[in-house]
Amino acid sequence: MPELELVDVQAGYGRAAPVLRGLSVAVPAGTIVCLVGPNGAGKSTVLKVASGLLAPRAGKILVGGVDVAGQGPQRMLANGVAHVLQGHSVFPEMTVAENVLLGAYTLKDKAVVGDRTEFVKSLFPVVADRWTSLAGLLSGGQQKQVEFARSLMVDPKVVLLDEPSMGLDPKATTTVFEQVVRMRDAGTAVLLVEQNARRALETADLGCVLDLGRVHISGPAAQLVADPQLAELYLGGRPAEPRP
Amino acid sequence: MPSGALLFQSVILGLLLGGLYALLAAGLTLYFGIMRVVMIAHSAFLILAAYLAWWSHTELGIDPLLSMLVTVPLFFGCGVLLQRLLLARLRAVTLTMMSVLLTFAIAVVIEGLLGYVFSGTQRRIQLGYGSASLELFGGRIAVVKLIAFGLAGVALAALYLVMKKTTFGWALRATIQHRDAAKLVGIDTDRVAGFGFGLGLATAAIGGTALSLDTTIYPSLHWHWIGPLMAIIVVGGLGSVPGAAAAAMVLGLAQSLLQIELGTTWAQTVFYLALFLTLAIRPQGFFGGRLAQRF
Repeated sequence: MPELELVDVQAGYGRAAPVLRGLSVAVPAGTIVCLVGPNGAGKSTVLKVASGLLAPRAGKILVGGVDVAGQGPQRMLANGVAHVLQGHSVFPEMTVAENVLLGAYTLKDKAVVGDRTEFVKSLFPVVADRWTSLAGLLSGGQQKQVEFARSLMVDPKVVLLDEPSMGLDPKATTTVFEQVVRMRDAGTAVLLVEQNARRALETADLGCVLDLGRVHISGPAAQLVADPQLAELYLGGRPAEPRP
Repeated sequence: MPSGALLFQSVILGLLLGGLYALLAAGLTLYFGIMRVVMIAHSAFLILAAYLAWWSHTELGIDPLLSMLVTVPLFFGCGVLLQRLLLARLRAVTLTMMSVLLTFAIAVVIEGLLGYVFSGTQRRIQLGYGSASLELFGGRIAVVKLIAFGLAGVALAALYLVMKKTTFGWALRATIQHRDAAKLVGIDTDRVAGFGFGLGLATAAIGGTALSLDTTIYPSLHWHWIGPLMAIIVVGGLGSVPGAAAAAMVLGLAQSLLQIELGTTWAQTVFYLALFLTLAIRPQGFFGGRLAQRF
């Protein structure tokens, strides 16, 4: 059974036409699933629906097989779904420590919070190094890692990442993708949305191509990267040269 | 050239006044930080609290300071209701502009009710310690002004501790700084915003009590306060509580010193001059910028 599964989800904003039109996607345990697709395909909306920021108009959201559609962010967090937003989403005028500890806002047990804090500090060394700095003073890549650390405080089953490489320089992008892999290896399934499609698919286990609010093609990420037609349409040109 | 003693007294009075401005401006800037609301009615609530302090002293014969036992929780509740029932209904796109209209209306309603219930007569609390003063290096400082400053200082310190040390304070700062991210760590941001509003209005209850100790009050007095307070929070950087406090002290001091040469009416213009200069030179505020929204 997948950790998180969206079935036939329809969703949109206000009275406007739906953005998601019968979207289905599954995130199995221990995998990175990557959603790629053109601008406006509804990639971010998928994550907002999955984390409860946006209520779906129809369809099911299954966490561990239980339908939790329509629950707000607080309940979804308790269900084990954490969401890292696009762009900068640290609390800029609070310290890294305050940011990370706010990730445990819903946890009551101090011992658990202490254990999780040690865990995220070991997973993201920059969090430990800059513990007392104001989060807003960190570089973009460092801020992203603080956001990752904050989202992992509740030990989620699935973490939703919305364009984590946006606005980062190549070196920081590499670090961020490495951290995504480390999060998976530490036991958290990842649903990743990326503009940087080729890079994301090379990192992911499974891939889905989203267009006009539905999943067009899905399969092992390696296959999608290698598909010439797909490369032409969505990945900007020829398939990647096989690496030596 | 004013004498040394007069100058010294003006500096002390300016700092004491600045303390009260700081407390009131902190509330005002908090509303803005929480939900981009311009709260014109803040000073109307201030005068309402002053009237309640005056009334409880005159009619019930209790010390005006004790009226805070009722007004602080009462105003906190009013703030929560105001945010949840009225301001939360405004559409996000036009929120700031519409909040001016809405809170302007609330200010007029409060002023009207005060005039209806207490009439337009000027009121002043006659306290046993009202005329007591301390002599300090040749300057005279009224004891009630020291009490007012003490109240403001204690209230600001309490506000600081709430923001820095309590779970609610962390949640409020997170909500101010990034609302969606705050939701995603499980904070009930609507509830927190409501309590934040209550906190802001509670500062008006304390400020109003402090004000009632040595000021003659009348229903339309709030219009004299809202201008300077708005100027202070813009100079301090909208949404920045420390910025508001710093700007309040500086401008309170400037007002007090200018009064020596210009008299009370013209000294007031220092606020609008500072507002004008800030908007022209540094619209994000002199103590804001990176400091903005920081506690």
